[in-house]
Amino acid sequence: MSKKKGFDRTAFAFIAPAFIFFTLFIIVPTVSSFYYSLTSWDGISPDIKFIGLANYKEIFTSDRFRNALGNTVILTVFISIFENAFALGLALLVDNVRWGKNFFRSAFYIPVLISGIVSGFIWKIMYNYNFGTFNAVLGNLGLDSLKQDWLGNSALTLLAIGIVLIWKGAGYYMIIYLASLQSVSVDLIEAAQIDGASPWQRFKSITVPLISGAFTINFTLSLINGLKVFDQINVMTDGGPGFTSETLVYLLYKVGFNEGRQGFGTAVGVMLLFIIIVLNTIQQKFLRSREVQM
Amino acid sequence: MRAKKRVKPKDFVIFAVTLLLAFLFVYPVLFALMSAFKSNGDILKSPVSFPTSLYVQNFKDLFAQSDFLTAILHSLFLTVVSEILIVFIVPMAAYGIERRKSRTTSLVYTYFLAGMMIPFHLYMFPLFKEMKMLHLFGNMAGPIICYIAGSIAFGALLYCSFLKGIPLEIEEAAMIDGCTPFQTFWKVTFPLLGPCTGSMVILNGLGIWNDYLMPYLVLPSGRAKTITVEIAGFVGQYTARWDIVFAGTIISIVPALAIFCMFQKYFVKGVTAGAAKG
Repeated sequence: MSKKKGFDRTAFAFIAPAFIFFTLFIIVPTVSSFYYSLTSWDGISPDIKFIGLANYKEIFTSDRFRNALGNTVILTVFISIFENAFALGLALLVDNVRWGKNFFRSAFYIPVLISGIVSGFIWKIMYNYNFGTFNAVLGNLGLDSLKQDWLGNSALTLLAIGIVLIWKGAGYYMIIYLASLQSVSVDLIEAAQIDGASPWQRFKSITVPLISGAFTINFTLSLINGLKVFDQINVMTDGGPGFTSETLVYLLYKVGFNEGRQGFGTAVGVMLLFIIIVLNTIQQKFLRSREVQM
Repeated sequence: MRAKKRVKPKDFVIFAVTLLLAFLFVYPVLFALMSAFKSNGDILKSPVSFPTSLYVQNFKDLFAQSDFLTAILHSLFLTVVSEILIVFIVPMAAYGIERRKSRTTSLVYTYFLAGMMIPFHLYMFPLFKEMKMLHLFGNMAGPIICYIAGSIAFGALLYCSFLKGIPLEIEEAAMIDGCTPFQTFWKVTFPLLGPCTGSMVILNGLGIWNDYLMPYLVLPSGRAKTITVEIAGFVGQYTARWDIVFAGTIISIVPALAIFCMFQKYFVKGVTAGAAKG
């Protein structure tokens, strides 16, 4: 098909509906959020006062923002590392298991199907101090001293939430690793085997470089998803106890809807976008350069 | 390639480890399923035991004490209508980008993909204000339109990568036979995109079925909204009636599980194609 010169009416007609929806309901609100972040807008009243950079000044000096940023970083890094480690481990198991490959692949994917709210509720009950599964199992094992108020103990809250997220997400990343593992040529592995490479050497020197594309994708996805966690926190802790599980997204939501400060909330959102863009750029530079193309 | 090899002890070890992990992964779902069929007393007394009989009082209470039926219908309506419109809009856009390649369409593609980085939470306050101005706030049209907008980035990526693998010759033949570009697309190309459409509808539909924040904030308050919103509401409201909430969670999980079992390969295709470099 020849390259069209000038205005392509057919292409325009095909693309226009999507372009209009996308622009009107994603780009316009995104761009206008930069403006609202410079106002003291409460979300309801029609008069919106321009206050310059005051929201950002508050962001950089407020302890609550620093706390939320810290929680977000801890949670996101924790999730990204363990989710990927877990997903890769599961993919290796499923790839090598002799019986029931499809069954296992489905089983590990099941948590992905469940909504954030529902998964948060199920785990909230399992974490319950008096009636939950964890403490019941510990009790049955005679380990009563290890019983915990998993979500109420501020030292454990983020960890407990992180575990739910890893459980819920690992299956998704496993599918991507698995597809990548299955595309690694058997010939290469066999050649290395004949040359006397140990299983670990084969994994390290052949498999890892060849699945690094999947690694980049998964790491990027899990970081971005980690930054956006909302539903589970909403159901399980509501940001508490105190502010121990309040992340940036949760802070944004709370100041916006409970405290009527949507201008400030939007400024927090702008910071979040900024973090995502920076992370994405670093990752592209750092991880992409290590990929091997076949 | 993978001819029957001898069963080694290693195979049993891998199988046992995988089985154990699979059990741990599925356990929370099993736990919800078992609890939905137990009385509240039994859930509290013995959280890890199986239900003793088929106890359906939880479901009866759920529908008696809340307007859960409306919530189910709302969830269904939002998912189905959004997906129909998405299937109408997104593949066309991808076709325009991929088959009418020019500097402009490549730019549009990049523009769409940038949407993947923008978190919903960033723009939700201005979005709601805009929706109020357009009278899309407080009714079903609002979420549907936002779901369409939100599906474009991933959808364009998926369809564009899929279109690359579809030969041009068939389309050219149709054009020579006098089809307009639209006819060519809908009658010739679109049917060939079936697996891609399946993947997108399933992954995207699951996202809409499970969505919480949008219906919670946008749909009118004082009435049942969607399944997810009802469940979140129960968690606060019926702190002492877990049995009812578990019944609700099962109603939320079962359709997703059924669709997954029926269309597994589409899930796998969608996830892996979406992860491939665009």
